[in-house]
Amino acid sequence: MKVYLKAISLHFKSAIEYRASFVTAFLSQIVVFFSYYFVILSLFNKFDNIKGFTLYEVLLCFAVIHFGYSFCEVFARGIDRFDKLIINGDFDRLLLRPKNVLLQVLCSDFDPIKLARFIQSLIVLVVALLNLNIEWTILKVLCLLFMLISSIVIFFSIFVISACYCFITIQGLEIRNLLMDGGKYMAQYPIGIFKKGFVIFFTVIIPYGLVNYYPLLYFTGKSNNILYMLAPIFVFLYLIPSIWLFNKGMKKYSSTGS
Amino acid sequence: MSFIEVNNICKTFKVAQRKSGFKEAIKSFFKREYKYVKAIENISFSIEKGEIVGYIGPNGAGKSTTIKILSGILTPDSGTCKVNGIVPWKERKKYVKSIGVVFGQRSQLWWDIPAMDTFDLLKDVYDIEEEKYQKIKNELIKMLDIEDIVTIPVRQLSLGQRMRCEIVASLLHEPKILFLDEPTIGLDAVSKKIVRDFIKKINKEKKVTIILTTHDMADIEALAKRIVLIGKGKVLYDGSLLKLKNKYDTNKKIKIITNDKLTIKKKGVLSSKKIADGYEFVIDCKTLNVSDFLNIVTKNISIKDIEIDNESIDDIIVDLYKEYEI
Repeated sequence: MKVYLKAISLHFKSAIEYRASFVTAFLSQIVVFFSYYFVILSLFNKFDNIKGFTLYEVLLCFAVIHFGYSFCEVFARGIDRFDKLIINGDFDRLLLRPKNVLLQVLCSDFDPIKLARFIQSLIVLVVALLNLNIEWTILKVLCLLFMLISSIVIFFSIFVISACYCFITIQGLEIRNLLMDGGKYMAQYPIGIFKKGFVIFFTVIIPYGLVNYYPLLYFTGKSNNILYMLAPIFVFLYLIPSIWLFNKGMKKYSSTGS
Repeated sequence: MSFIEVNNICKTFKVAQRKSGFKEAIKSFFKREYKYVKAIENISFSIEKGEIVGYIGPNGAGKSTTIKILSGILTPDSGTCKVNGIVPWKERKKYVKSIGVVFGQRSQLWWDIPAMDTFDLLKDVYDIEEEKYQKIKNELIKMLDIEDIVTIPVRQLSLGQRMRCEIVASLLHEPKILFLDEPTIGLDAVSKKIVRDFIKKINKEKKVTIILTTHDMADIEALAKRIVLIGKGKVLYDGSLLKLKNKYDTNKKIKIITNDKLTIKKKGVLSSKKIADGYEFVIDCKTLNVSDFLNIVTKNISIKDIEIDNESIDDIIVDLYKEYEI
């Protein structure tokens, strides 16, 4: 952990070495994010609900997904860009250090610019919460925490799984687009509004639904099923196969060039 | 049992191949043909503690592959390898604490920040105690004379300065073995000398075992008493540099500066060449010794000046490569 924090601070130092580009990149991220946000706003300009979900419920969904995604983009950037690490041969260097390899991959990159997105998703989250009439209970606080943490966990796992492809092909297959970007885009909305096939897919195969949809039902009082509140916990199971795959891939690793 | 023991290791890589051209590129996108390339084949050697070994061979001979196996990055297909009682790729975390690796063509320093920051990070990576760390770091920095440059962002350093920082970074955890993969590549004469002197010094003072790969024979001459020559994945020669020299170094290059015309045809003269202000001969001393040769020359013409050279170690290596057809 100490190593990770230190590495992150060094990355930060490196990033602010180039002041101008840091600022412009930071600002451009804000614009990109708000374009997503405005899509939802304009949608609700026409309709006041989508299949029973109000604007702020959808925004909560949206915020939870982007919270986890941007968190991973900032702090797990190394895994996201794992193909680079393999191609330029720096992965060899990690194998020469007496620390856990996955941890070192985490340390290898950090993207403070995406902090802009992270902060904005927090803002949207707060806005949504303030406008939803929630009767707060301890269980609901827990529920919200579970949602946020599981959102991080699911994106982290998907990052790791797509990184594993690099071991096999030494080039980042666009598998992550399939798993992540498409799915992420849909999971911004409560998945219950989609067809049944999608609901099953996003509950069982890539469990975005467990991250925001089911706990949202509990959170907003649409359901009293305690299982829905605990749903995010099952997302942690997703870590097991992803880390297993990573370790398996590492054994197969065959390095590049001299 | 020796400190480093390598027995019959083999490694084969699967390489995708295609012919040139756009059409072939598209074709290979869908269906790839693979070729199996034997990078190394039955490599064996052993190294004692405190030795400096020069590991040489032409490009693509398998030097880097061997280093990668010895440092635990790659697992060989077959064969055994034990370093200090540990199998490198089996107990990775424990093993890498005892080795340092410098890749001349690849940097471990953070590009945008001073080398000092990288050192500090390594301190935590290797769990070095603060007091010990300060002592070793200062000692190394002083030995390599880089006090002034460790606070400058690495991207602004010259190659020679960077290489010196690179070496410090690899030695902070006091490794018992140091792998140097082309440590002097691209360096100027002064930096080369500094690096060589330093390597010699740590070998002597700290008893660090050193395995060195290089294409610069001057490195080998300055540092290694023993060389291991590999080509096409096999060990071709393993022994002292001196022996190799005595065996191959029987040719002498003689340059004669003169205005007169000169042709010598005698057994033992391997080649003769007209140069700007005279002639250049290569003679084989086993059949024709130098004084006999000079006798013949002085009988025929008047000499302005004369120069006699041993064949350089580079030439010897070229001969060796030729002999083994690699």
